[in-house]
Amino acid sequence: MIQIKGLTKQYGLTTVLRGVNLHVREGEFVTLVGSNGAGKSTLLRIVATLLKPSGGEVTIGGWPLPSHAHNVRRHIGLVSHHALLYGDMTAAENLMFFARLYGIDNREEVVSTALKRVGLTARRRDAVRTFSRGMVQRLTIARATLHEPDVLLLDEPFTGLDQDASALLNRLLLREHEIGRTILLITHDLIRGISLSDRVAILNRGKIVHTVTRDDISATEFVTLYQQVVHGDHVAELPG
Amino acid sequence: MNRSGLFWTQLRALVWKDLQIERHTKQSIGIMLMFAIVAVVTFNFALENNLGAVREVAGGLLWVTILLAGTLGLNRSFASELENRPIDAMLIAPMDRSTMFMGKVISVSLFTLAMELILIPVFIAISNKPFYRPEVLLLITLGTIGYVAAGVLVSSMAVQTRANYVLVPVLLLPLSLPVVLAAATGVAQYMGLNKPPFADVSATFALVIAYDLLMLAAGLFTYNYVVEE
Amino acid sequence: MTKLNRWSNIFNWLAVIALAINLLMVFFYAPVELTMGNVQRIFYFHVGSAWVGAVTLGIALICGVLYLYRPKPLYDILGMASVEIGVVFVTMTIVAGSVWGRPAWNTWWTWSPRLTSITVMWLVYVAYFMLRGAVEDEQKRARFAAVYVIAAFITVIMTYVSIRLLRDIHPVVFGDAVEGVQAGAEGLQEFSGVDSIRMVLTLNVSVVAFSLLYVAWLLNRYRLQLLINRANMLKARVAARMQGDSLSVADAEEMRPATTD
Repeated sequence: MIQIKGLTKQYGLTTVLRGVNLHVREGEFVTLVGSNGAGKSTLLRIVATLLKPSGGEVTIGGWPLPSHAHNVRRHIGLVSHHALLYGDMTAAENLMFFARLYGIDNREEVVSTALKRVGLTARRRDAVRTFSRGMVQRLTIARATLHEPDVLLLDEPFTGLDQDASALLNRLLLREHEIGRTILLITHDLIRGISLSDRVAILNRGKIVHTVTRDDISATEFVTLYQQVVHGDHVAELPG
Repeated sequence: MNRSGLFWTQLRALVWKDLQIERHTKQSIGIMLMFAIVAVVTFNFALENNLGAVREVAGGLLWVTILLAGTLGLNRSFASELENRPIDAMLIAPMDRSTMFMGKVISVSLFTLAMELILIPVFIAISNKPFYRPEVLLLITLGTIGYVAAGVLVSSMAVQTRANYVLVPVLLLPLSLPVVLAAATGVAQYMGLNKPPFADVSATFALVIAYDLLMLAAGLFTYNYVVEE
Repeated sequence: MTKLNRWSNIFNWLAVIALAINLLMVFFYAPVELTMGNVQRIFYFHVGSAWVGAVTLGIALICGVLYLYRPKPLYDILGMASVEIGVVFVTMTIVAGSVWGRPAWNTWWTWSPRLTSITVMWLVYVAYFMLRGAVEDEQKRARFAAVYVIAAFITVIMTYVSIRLLRDIHPVVFGDAVEGVQAGAEGLQEFSGVDSIRMVLTLNVSVVAFSLLYVAWLLNRYRLQLLINRANMLKARVAARMQGDSLSVADAEEMRPATTD
């Protein structure tokens, strides 16, 4: 579904991505972990058609980026650590607006089903500004899946969520996975990454340095492995 | 839905969204109007409450007020796009960037025109000049559209820079002056007791319309380079 | 780089020679104008720089369009250099015009539509540098500059059209026969006989000389920018070395493979 080959991205003299290779199969849930500045967000923004690559190939559902971004956009949904919603509009108005942008026909129905699915029907007439962080993130999921995208992209969606809200978001994500959406999640939370997804890729300094399948490894083993892969040759420089 | 059908749905959605935000917050028009009235009072102070002087320069004062108030309306409108970055969600939707430009131009123009609807009677009251003439209203409307088109283009860039909103007036005022000068010249010609023959003012109309078309075309063709990275 | 050095040297000399010839022609070849006297000689300077200034800004526009079509740094540098040079030419036009206006209109400055719009045009292109200065990312800076230059050119069109459409104190120099007669009536000498041929020739030489000056400046500016870029790259490389960060800058190839297997 998502095919990335030799992807590079430079900003002026700084190189953020140095030849990323990643293949995400249809219906697969892949998590990308890495420390701050590893290039995770840049990678996701390129896949989300928000950023143009400097080199390499990216295809989504067979469409090459950035030349066929217009065709790809219909099939992707994005959840980022920003809400991507209008704080001054109500929950229903926000969803209605995005439903119109996607040219969805039976909007009223689609919007109320979406609100019900994320448990926000009671708050549909309230301004998003008055929502808690967890509610905003649920509404964000509803927004990102309104047009039934094949691919769901998530950039640190757990930022700022408390235990309960995170658990609820976990359940929502797994449900999206069950109904067959391809999911690419980006997080710095190793445990969550390995427990949620089918496969975890470690991104370090602009390159994917290791990939593991969840069934092959336990969460603690994965954390040890990550430390080795990322800091292995620099241990002496790091405190602790 | 076919492509042109989708275009109209999206355009309506964009404008409707801005109107809804305005209905909830009542900020754009309110702030612009408040600023405009403060500006008018300040001008009177500068002209030493000399009604004769106000009358002489009423057309120019009106335009200066619109220009300055307009930058505030633009700021407000872009602030709502950047808080929580809904603009990213719009960018990944299957929508032409020129549609986004048109939507913003239409909604900000509507807000600015709404502000002018109240401002112009105020000017008629303090200067006793015939701003109500249809040709004058047409010139003001056309001038406003050109100004807003330049404003949307420039603001979209300015908010992505280090200097942020501060850059808007610095870039926008010079860039929009050609249309404002032409429109103000036209308005001034209508301020006399008798209406001038159309042949005398056709040049200003032509300049204003030319600027509008050129600026709208520039915006439509370049907007994807402004919002896309 | 060496080829560029050679060409910029050639054009430096061409520009110097052309300007010297132009100066000699303005003072010794062109006739004394009937109504204005010797002051009119600044007219060659004024019109020459106005003409080349407009062309320069037009080239900036073309560079902007080209950059958006195909984002190569070359177009950005040439576009920026053209705006810089264009601003200098427009400034020269305004100053020379003001010097001419003092005896002709008995004032250094008047807010006629033409003078107002050229001032506006000048401001628009000076603001271009404010925009560039406010953007950190190189590609974004180039993109915004290209978009801005396209919008800015509308003010150039308006400036050169406004004189045709609005009643103005400023004479028309380039235009059709009717306007030429108007210009004559408004203070410039009627273009007739040998004198007029000499005037036209001097004006043409001014335009050529200023055009050569533009090309020379453009090449020098381009060379300068390449040097700036190289210095920046070396600085970044030295900084990366000192931080012991072998990955930064152009060292991507030397990246060590993962050591887990």
